[in-house]
Amino acid sequence: MATLALRRVGLSRLSLARPRSPGLSPPPPAWPAWPQARSLSAGALLLAARKFTDKHEWISVENGIGTVGISNFAQEALGDVVYCSLPEVGTKLNKQDEFGALESVKAASELYSPLTGEVTEVNTALADNPGLVNKSCYEDGWLMKMTVDNPSELDELMSEDAYEKYVKSIEE
Amino acid sequence: MIIQSSLKNCFQLSHVLRIPTAGLKCAAKGGLILQSVSNDVYQNLAIEDWIHDNMNLENRQVLFLWRNSPVVVIGRHQNPWQECNLKVMRQNNIKLARRRSGGGTVYHDLGNINLTFFTSKKKYERMENLKLVVSALKALRPQLDVVATGRYDLLLNRDFKISGTAAKLGRTAAYHHCTLLCCADKLLLSSVLKSPYKGIKSNATPSVPALVKNLFEEDSTLSCEMLMGAISAEYATHHQIDHCIIPINPADEMQFPGINIKTKELQTWEWIYGKTPKFSISTCFNMIYKQSCLEVKVYMEVKYGKIEVCSIELPQQWLPPDLCDELKKNLIGSKFCPSEITAVTSALLRTGPQDYELHNKWNLLCEKVIMLM
Repeated sequence: MATLALRRVGLSRLSLARPRSPGLSPPPPAWPAWPQARSLSAGALLLAARKFTDKHEWISVENGIGTVGISNFAQEALGDVVYCSLPEVGTKLNKQDEFGALESVKAASELYSPLTGEVTEVNTALADNPGLVNKSCYEDGWLMKMTVDNPSELDELMSEDAYEKYVKSIEE
Repeated sequence: MIIQSSLKNCFQLSHVLRIPTAGLKCAAKGGLILQSVSNDVYQNLAIEDWIHDNMNLENRQVLFLWRNSPVVVIGRHQNPWQECNLKVMRQNNIKLARRRSGGGTVYHDLGNINLTFFTSKKKYERMENLKLVVSALKALRPQLDVVATGRYDLLLNRDFKISGTAAKLGRTAAYHHCTLLCCADKLLLSSVLKSPYKGIKSNATPSVPALVKNLFEEDSTLSCEMLMGAISAEYATHHQIDHCIIPINPADEMQFPGINIKTKELQTWEWIYGKTPKFSISTCFNMIYKQSCLEVKVYMEVKYGKIEVCSIELPQQWLPPDLCDELKKNLIGSKFCPSEITAVTSALLRTGPQDYELHNKWNLLCEKVIMLM
């Protein structure tokens, strides 16, 4: 994914805009108590599994199926997403294969598969609402789900911490 | 047209471009200015793909200058039926092309210049490129009032668009290309960029219409050659290289291995029309038959350019229902394309009703359906 417009996204803004990971930072105080507790546990589970590529896609694997999306850094760099071109269910992908493109502010950015596997589902909500990629890149704005054919490939991806360091390094 | 004066002292392109890495040792860094000798849009778009896919852009930047014979170019995720008048284009022999970058629909002819700025993804910076174009224009004619907007358009005298932008970002490389209107046919431009089709529903990226102007209208001494010369000179200064423009031939398979396959791909129906995001068309039209007028309602869903769902509502008893069903059945699975539907319907008409009146009615209906495409 995009490493574009780095200059636009300052370091301070980036750290501020980082998605609120319920497990790591306190949720906004205005939230009602019960839903907050629920999203906290679900979020923490997802967060634990999320791995990143150097092209700014993330994948989190649950029961052998990986959910793929783009990172907050990438969605900020892209700007408003206006169209998501996603693969057909059943498409077989190799790690790093192009699987679609996101269009934002007149630019088409190619998407690359983080793992080898088969597409089992795409996020159909993005057809009518591509802006979900910006609004909720780690939850509602996911792109596709895929099988994990070579689980060892997961080890080659970055953990959230490593990815954050990577983002900082490319900003410098 | 290649600017002859700039060709002096140019090193041979073969030293620069040959892949994979052998020839790149010579001048593998810094800026490079290329100009296409072809006016074929598919060849020129293929060169863009080729450079994007094959050249190492880690330490090099490329400016590619090109012009096309009359053509409408749609963005990667656009719907041609929504964006342009395909009938007028067919009548005037204006081609249609789909590019790999995002953005909206533009009209090109030899009065328009295209500039492609190739960089690594890291160095991709559209505003910088547009500023370079503005500086070049100012260097040529200091009185010109040209500014770049937040949507990466160039405006002349605040209100008139003279340049539109689009971009593609790949794994490690990126390109930003833009048009620049010098003396294009504005009448043709506005007639082809107006869609006559009604009732299309789609999530395809829509174009944002704008008032346009040619630079020639502002200053009739300007020509495409002068603009290309000024922009390449500015680029050379900016990148501290000699002002030399290397002519390239996008049909040269030796220089650009695999280029002809890329060109052919861009010409296929599957790419130009088939890549249209799924859409539906819901429309009605009138048919006049034996001095009476009747209304026909049509609904179709089109995916990958092919009709997936089709319904045709006719006044009862006008045509036997099984004939209408036969037509629908044959439309489903066919390309949403007049030549294909003509072939489908003429085959149907040959084997269809021999009754003179029924045949005429059916023929009329088929013709009207084809008119929708």
